Amino acid sequence: MANLPRKLELFYDVLSPYSWLGFELLCRYQNIWNINLQLRPSFIPGILKDSGNKPPALVPRKGKYMMMDLQHLKNFYQVPIRIPKDFLTVILEKGSLNAMRFLTAVNMEKPEMLENVSRELWMRIWSRDEDITEPQSILAAAEKAGLSKEQAKSLLENSSTDKVKNKLKETTSAACNYGAFGLPTIVVHMDNKPCVIFGSDRMEMLAYLLDLF
Amino acid sequence: MANLPRKLELFYDVLSPYSWLGFELLCRYQNIWNINLQLRPSFIPGILKDSGNKPPALVPRKGKYMMMDLQHLKNFYQVPIRIPKDFLTVILEKGSLNAMRFLTAVNMEKPEMLENVSRELWMRIWSRDEDITEPQSILAAAEKAGLSKEQAKSLLENSSTDKVKNKLKETTSAACNYGAFGLPTIVVHMDNKPCVIFGSDRMEMLAYLLGELESLSLSIIKTDIPCPTVLPTCQTYH
Repeated sequence: MANLPRKLELFYDVLSPYSWLGFELLCRYQNIWNINLQLRPSFIPGILKDSGNKPPALVPRKGKYMMMDLQHLKNFYQVPIRIPKDFLTVILEKGSLNAMRFLTAVNMEKPEMLENVSRELWMRIWSRDEDITEPQSILAAAEKAGLSKEQAKSLLENSSTDKVKNKLKETTSAACNYGAFGLPTIVVHMDNKPCVIFGSDRMEMLAYLLDLF
Repeated sequence: MANLPRKLELFYDVLSPYSWLGFELLCRYQNIWNINLQLRPSFIPGILKDSGNKPPALVPRKGKYMMMDLQHLKNFYQVPIRIPKDFLTVILEKGSLNAMRFLTAVNMEKPEMLENVSRELWMRIWSRDEDITEPQSILAAAEKAGLSKEQAKSLLENSSTDKVKNKLKETTSAACNYGAFGLPTIVVHMDNKPCVIFGSDRMEMLAYLLGELESLSLSIIKTDIPCPTVLPTCQTYH
């Protein structure tokens, strides 16, 4: 008798390149491992504020290190990451609020498109150094992902409703309730209790926890 | 013609449990990978101060997370880590200055003992929740590692000389010059330039950089089952 798939929640923000790595790795494994992957668009500034943590790039050596680390990881994991020219402005000033609200709307109305749209937003910000804050940027990503112009426009309108704004807050709160202090945060629902993993560098350990070795 | 072994420096502090994991993993692979592992006892508060970084445990959720993370990692990597009962006092108040000065002295006079003595200090603080700050604690670790009472006592005396204190400062500075903001910090001397890796969770990537992926076994735990490190077909990116 086959085991039931284990539920695995991935809390992520497209602002976070390490979220992209975790996302791609789990997407690759979702049909190989016995898991039910649930994508949970979240808002990283909300997580940082609630936990009292700070963006790593604020420590200059951490920022420099991240840029080097991402170059190696991009080759190793074959995810086409390219550091934005104005790295700090993109992360600390421009942000991703509109994009994450949009993904929240997608998740509420067309969840089967969430993976594709998330990927296209990451491709903009973290591969082609393109904007993800303006309406036309978000619509472009949505259409590239396979949504029609009308669907994309409708979802964009919904993004600014209280319903969607609150849903993003709820998801971010849920991550905080699991003890998140950053993203990506993965929650594996094991037999007796949830197991929380931070970052995209615990995949082998995750496989071990899922009894896959 | 065989390639020359690549020099790999491991900057570590016994106060850091993740340093212990990195240390054990590299010790397991030093005779399997074509590397020349050089242990570099360093002082983590010096690294944090110089880089403007803070101990992760100061963010409450990070501290809680670390305790859980270490439980999983201990099982996965089979390193007998046990969280000290008074975790925060051990890390933030008691510290490891005497221990790291002692290891510096060992490295200067009896470098062949550095691996064993480092391990015995980690076993005290991070496996048996024992002190590593008092002279008798350090002597006990040294003797357990194989040093004689006389050798241990002599090294302990040397630990408080300016020569040894300065050497610890120099090693810590060297890590800072490589851009370290915490420990463990691994510096791999690749063909053209040094490659700096932070933490103990980049071992598979390190194996990839060294061209040693084939010899990786179950992500570096002590079994012979081949590791599923090479990931399935990649997403096509447009």
